[in-house]
Amino acid sequence: MSAESLYVKYGGFGKVNRIVMAFYDKLLDSDEIGPYFDDIDMPRMIDHQTKFIASLLGGPAAFTDEQLGNAHARLAVTHGHFDELKVILQSTLSEHGVTSDDSALVLNAIEARRAVIVKE
Amino acid sequence: MSIEAINEQLLRSVGIGVALFSRSDLTLEFSNDVFESWFEDSNPGDGIDAIFPTLDLDNMLTRVQEDGKYSTELKFRKKRRTIVVAQIFSLADIGGQQLLVLECQNITRIRELESMIESYSNMVERNAREIQREKDQVEKLLLNIMPRAAYEEYRDFGVVAPQRLESVSVLVLEFSNFNENVNTLPPASLVSELNELYSSFDRIGDQLECERIRSTGDSYRCMAGMQDPNVDHLQSVANAATRFIRYLNRRNESANTKWLCRIGIGTGSVVGSVVGNQKYVYDIFGAAVNAAVSARTHASEMEVLLADEAVGDLGGRLQRLDATTEAAREQSLIALADI
Repeated sequence: MSAESLYVKYGGFGKVNRIVMAFYDKLLDSDEIGPYFDDIDMPRMIDHQTKFIASLLGGPAAFTDEQLGNAHARLAVTHGHFDELKVILQSTLSEHGVTSDDSALVLNAIEARRAVIVKE
Repeated sequence: MSIEAINEQLLRSVGIGVALFSRSDLTLEFSNDVFESWFEDSNPGDGIDAIFPTLDLDNMLTRVQEDGKYSTELKFRKKRRTIVVAQIFSLADIGGQQLLVLECQNITRIRELESMIESYSNMVERNAREIQREKDQVEKLLLNIMPRAAYEEYRDFGVVAPQRLESVSVLVLEFSNFNENVNTLPPASLVSELNELYSSFDRIGDQLECERIRSTGDSYRCMAGMQDPNVDHLQSVANAATRFIRYLNRRNESANTKWLCRIGIGTGSVVGSVVGNQKYVYDIFGAAVNAAVSARTHASEMEVLLADEAVGDLGGRLQRLDATTEAAREQSLIALADI
């Protein structure tokens, strides 16, 4: 996957920031995943989502499996929540003009990290 | 519809939150729908301090009295979202009744975007620092294989044009006991020794405006006169040569591994260029190099030789000596040493 090209292809941060904000809104509104963010303040939450989307699309952020594992270690993420996050992300990407092929690439990249994030 | 009814309708329909408090007892008189959507528990008759427990009441009243208005921000959680509301308090006299007017504007999105910009800036700035570190690393590596002037030309134009330098001096050093040390030292120690020696030569050379051209295992070449033709390049390499010898002599006194060398110096013209497209090597060719190699061939261990006719004013620190071998003297080579 040429992640770098997705970030550039979809207009760099000037455009990608809209995906970040929409994804942030959807996460907060989700009754499934939202509760994970009950105690996280806004700047930290925004920071997470900015880096998350940037890293997925090949922007200026990258996380190692170890960093991801540590970040999610105490959250007890379930497979159900992981699946829900993928659904939310897919709809966000689709609403912002990301093609289904590119969206599939992104979702596959997340799926590859499932074992690092889900501890069930 | 009466004017009062129209006014109330207007206040209710605007997109900002509006609340009116009695100036005398600071209780809520009126609030519109937007205000009520944010502060659901507020009711007419409630005190302002009950609705906004964190509001600095005294300060607000003083500022409103003195400046006509007071601005602040209020943060609160609605479900799990942090809502940020900008509040402006002012005074109004309506039909003889003193009212404290509060306008509230939802600036949550602005604060969220600011946070995102901050996060993004931090990422970009961190990346920029990493890129700069990598650039520095690349520059360091390239400066190891080509002189600074050639590197700068390569950096600015992407190529290094071959250049004829009419008058430069070249120093060629060869370790005479290199094979012996290669055979006895473990590979890691050998590389570490050479690294130390060549780094020291580089440092000495830098002080004397000499630039390393290349080091290839048993030999080290540097030159002077490339950057600034007006510098007395012969004096630079002659001083470098005798200091290399002095450095090695001192090092040999205490080090386990002794290093012995022969040095030749040549002056004249050279052509300097980067050779190769993928694997760059900066090299020099020409009369000065040939003269230096020839002189080195005739040098005895720890001797610096150069052609007699090349020697001009060597400054106060160097002296001319007869070359130690007959063969060298026959070639009109003379030796140099520190005074």
